[in-house]
Amino acid sequence: MQKLPKTLIFIVVALSMVLTAFLPAAPAAVEYPRNETLYTSGTQWGAPSSWNPLNGGGYATGTIGLVYETLFIYDPLADKFTPYLAESANWTDATTYEVKIRQGVKWTNGQPLTADDVKFTFDIANPNGDTKAGLGYSALWKFLDNIEIKDANTVVFKFKENPAYQEIGFYFYFAPILNKAIWSKMKLEDITGGANKNPVGTGPYKFQAADQDRMVWVRNDAWWGKDVFGKLPAPKYIVDIVNGSNNVALGKMLQGGLDLSNNFLPGVASLVNGGYGIKTYYKEAPYMLSANVASLLINEQKKPMDDVKFRTALAWMININDIVEKDYTGIVKAADPTGLLPIWDKYIDKDQVKELGWSYDPEKAKKILADAGYKDVDGDKFLEAPDGSKIALKVTCPSGWTDWMAAIQIISRDAKAIGLNIEPDYPDYGPWRDAQLKGTFDLTLQNEAQMSSTVWSYYSWIFQNPLDKIATAQYGNYGRYDNKEAFALVDQLDKVKLGDDAAIKEITTKLQKITMTEMPTIPLWYNGLWAQYNESVWTNWPSADGENHALPAMWRGYVNMSGIQMLLNLEPAAKK
Amino acid sequence: MKRYFGRKLLIYALTFFIAVTINWMIPRFMPGNPVDIMISRAGLRGSAVTQMYSYYMDAFGLDQPIWKQYLNFWIAIFHGDLGTSIFLFPTPVIQVIKDALPYDVALLLPSILLSWFAGNKFGALAARNKNLDNTLLPIGYILTAVPYMWLGILLAWVFCIVIRIFPLGGGYDFSMQPSYTWDFYWSLFNHWVLPFLSLFIVQFGGWAIGMRNLIIYELEADYSHFLEALGAPRKLIRNYAYNNAILPQVTGVALQIGVIVTGALATEVVFAYPGIGYLILQAIHNQDYFLLQGCFLFVVIGVLIANFVVDIAYILIDPRTRAGMTGGAE
Amino acid sequence: MKKKNELLYFALRNTKLRIGMAVLLFFLLLMIIGPHLTPYKPADFVGPSSAPPSKEFWFGTTTFGEDVFTQFVYGLAPTFLVGIVGGVIGTLLGMLIGFVAGYRGGAVDEVLNILTNVVLTIPVLALLLVLVAYIPVRGVLIEAVFIGLTSWPWAARAIRSQTFSLRTRDFVGLAKMSGMSSMKIIFTEIAPNMASYLFMTFILMFGNSILNAATLDFLGLGPTEGVSMGTMMNLAVQWSALMLGVWWWFIPPGIAITCIVGSLYVMNVGLDEVFNPKLREM
Repeated sequence: MQKLPKTLIFIVVALSMVLTAFLPAAPAAVEYPRNETLYTSGTQWGAPSSWNPLNGGGYATGTIGLVYETLFIYDPLADKFTPYLAESANWTDATTYEVKIRQGVKWTNGQPLTADDVKFTFDIANPNGDTKAGLGYSALWKFLDNIEIKDANTVVFKFKENPAYQEIGFYFYFAPILNKAIWSKMKLEDITGGANKNPVGTGPYKFQAADQDRMVWVRNDAWWGKDVFGKLPAPKYIVDIVNGSNNVALGKMLQGGLDLSNNFLPGVASLVNGGYGIKTYYKEAPYMLSANVASLLINEQKKPMDDVKFRTALAWMININDIVEKDYTGIVKAADPTGLLPIWDKYIDKDQVKELGWSYDPEKAKKILADAGYKDVDGDKFLEAPDGSKIALKVTCPSGWTDWMAAIQIISRDAKAIGLNIEPDYPDYGPWRDAQLKGTFDLTLQNEAQMSSTVWSYYSWIFQNPLDKIATAQYGNYGRYDNKEAFALVDQLDKVKLGDDAAIKEITTKLQKITMTEMPTIPLWYNGLWAQYNESVWTNWPSADGENHALPAMWRGYVNMSGIQMLLNLEPAAKK
Repeated sequence: MKRYFGRKLLIYALTFFIAVTINWMIPRFMPGNPVDIMISRAGLRGSAVTQMYSYYMDAFGLDQPIWKQYLNFWIAIFHGDLGTSIFLFPTPVIQVIKDALPYDVALLLPSILLSWFAGNKFGALAARNKNLDNTLLPIGYILTAVPYMWLGILLAWVFCIVIRIFPLGGGYDFSMQPSYTWDFYWSLFNHWVLPFLSLFIVQFGGWAIGMRNLIIYELEADYSHFLEALGAPRKLIRNYAYNNAILPQVTGVALQIGVIVTGALATEVVFAYPGIGYLILQAIHNQDYFLLQGCFLFVVIGVLIANFVVDIAYILIDPRTRAGMTGGAE
Repeated sequence: MKKKNELLYFALRNTKLRIGMAVLLFFLLLMIIGPHLTPYKPADFVGPSSAPPSKEFWFGTTTFGEDVFTQFVYGLAPTFLVGIVGGVIGTLLGMLIGFVAGYRGGAVDEVLNILTNVVLTIPVLALLLVLVAYIPVRGVLIEAVFIGLTSWPWAARAIRSQTFSLRTRDFVGLAKMSGMSSMKIIFTEIAPNMASYLFMTFILMFGNSILNAATLDFLGLGPTEGVSMGTMMNLAVQWSALMLGVWWWFIPPGIAITCIVGSLYVMNVGLDEVFNPKLREM
């Protein structure tokens, strides 16, 4: 017995030596002083693993925006494109777009940004080019003929006849400009799928460190914006915390260890009003800007969902107020019947909505169904279809998405109240997503339609045409709604010139009418641009009051939509 | 001896084989195609999808005949190649696990060893000691019955939220970069204490009760009564009892390891502690079958190694086997 | 007959058994009458968000305004169900394999022993996590079956060694000579002689199944519908109950599991003392 401890001590020592071997090689001690560090969270759900800006869904928080930059940034609140890496740009004729590259921009490896870099960035995405990389902006080549370099600082994009200006505008603030000298040496699989461990960008931050639970950026003091905007972003370090759980994020926020949380925190209404020092964009409900619309998707290939009367009844029967108030405690907004986000409010034909829109009215829903011939034939308290067949439908959302689970429970409850047998169902994410891609669901929720520079993105999502042959490529129109007129209108909308609001309104008014009378989807509520800030270290956050109206988000795709403006506007709290 | 080890090794080999086979089956029989899901996560559109689809199908070898995939899997394992994580694309799975492993070892080893020692000592003390038995032992029962994660939740709530002594989340402070400095070690330690405690406390209860019951069995065994009748001092009898009772407790470690590992997984989730448990959960939620495979494989290997260590420890302390090996020389 | 009465006498006098039984019965009763004490359903949004315990909401409400007490009492049934079904399956499998291995011996024993050891070595819950993740729509029963199917090895091992020692007893030899079939001998001669042991095995299995299920549920791999103690904890943590101080959301389910499982363990020790006179308190 006496021998035992010795043996075990030996084991412990041996194992701790093994353990030490695993420890990462440690550089000299670096600590980020609190008053120079911005802590963010809510974008990164797993360890940062890719700094490749072309890896659209997986790059580390800030890779586009902080490191890689785009030709333009787009501010949805002002509906305004601002030249960014481009100094200026204009259409010299209907198909020629001339972009002047900003002078004096340097990559972090010291090379200057040139017209060559810009041409290269777009060329590699050409499906008929040399590299043929399949990238998020490859679709630009549907309209693009070729790219020419006019001089060292000028790139000319030559488009085919009748280009889709709306879509093109989108790609110009979407595509991250790459350093040709570095990227032209890479193999195709490294371009599209490599980790790009040493990101060389033009942006205000550089790579500092990364670990399983964090991503650290350090300011690039040689950033070109210093001269253009007259200042650098105030935080020297940005530490983005991987949010394994909302729980930890909120804890850090309450203790002042997190400055910006882009997480969905259900209790946030009580925190804003509870003296915790937590701020949001709006002082009262809905507290958040609206970022995307959550819609009820309806599978039009199945009975009775192919009946427009049935779909209309669904719209009238849902008590959206219960979802907004009880499920979301008021931090989301009920959607307009058109489903157009508040940033697109100016396109909504209010009179038409008054005439064709809906609100919660179960009696009306019952009447619509009764008039259409739905009645309870077999006495089971549920309605049968006009042809006498039973109706038993499932409304789905992924298991574990609690807010949505609660929402579909409410939908199911409301459906039963008017005699429709609709049960909630919570498959895992994989099968749930599969059912959309393959079009096998009955009813489900989806919020893919995000804010963007063009309302076209919303309508092309609803009316995607043609259906893709590969299910995975299907993006939108999961219910397989088929309407030639709508498809034509969406194409027409795509070709409207940027800023031609009158034309957009004219076309979307027709599209609004179709969505409100045909109900390919039913818009339910606007999900927030979840953003909670703590002012103890950094102040001057975006707010509805005052002048600071940037988007308070580090989400992928949002830093280049004025999220960078938020960073520039931050001020240290100590200054006051 | 040889026969004993031969059997054990056979069992380990077989376990490993079955585990790897199950492992290989995971992504292939999961609902949905992992490549589909990854591409839909990447937010690609149009022609980009077709291109990427064939690229990844090829990269992951999912377009080969099943038997070949199985063979390749074994070959890859022996090359230490566990594939590429989808969720953390393009990091190799082995790298992801290597980053997480130290945290697991740091939690599991001390908690198992310390709770085992402390629990056994305490259990031996409590046996046939009316006061301890009636006051502290019920606590032991409660402790073994507590779900690991709930104890974790309670500790986190009390020590991180109500009285803010310890930080919650992460392996070390977010304002630090790893370095060989006391500050950094201190930060590591602070983040480690609570997950360790929740593992330690639950296990402690189990060992204490186990020991207490074993000692009582031993004290009631014929040899104890015989010694007592001979007038041997009570302390001596108890020592004999303890030495006999310790053997089943060693075997107990082997039996418990699976449970403890799972407990650690749940605990890591509560504390957002960056170990393998946390990875497993993320892998499941993100349908990252390759990462899941790798984690599962490592857990199995870990358990096998632990079992092996327990086997050796058992031989070292069992007087019978020890006598057999060293010829009785102490 | 006398022996039975004696056992009953000691059983009723045994404090551990009495306490364990009382706690268990309390929760069983709560499970049965609880749903009648509340006007709500577990998923109803009935009250204000995160209201502390009050006369109206005995255990307070969740962030979403659901009544915690309602969830609690409705969640007890799945918890017991998993325990019983998982426990029964695990015990039966353990008995089957343990009896056959112990009684037959030889090659059969060898093979079953290896099987047992293999399953024993594979970390069961890690395996469960993986298996459960396969099933898109999960119910309590499936969960219980999975837990039962993976939890038998230690029981099999223990039962095997008991059978092994009983096999050589006279009464088994007698039965063999009288030409009884092996199965009959196992179930009429051997099993009754270790009935108390089997019962205790079941009690432990019962408790372990509940703990395993709670862990699965907590990790979000539990039943996709309905509530259980584990899912309550999962949701509480997921929706920041800790940070927001909504302790009434995560404390009750933990207490329930601890009490139920703890009472089972205590009962087990109590039973041990009843069946095994040597262990009784002196």
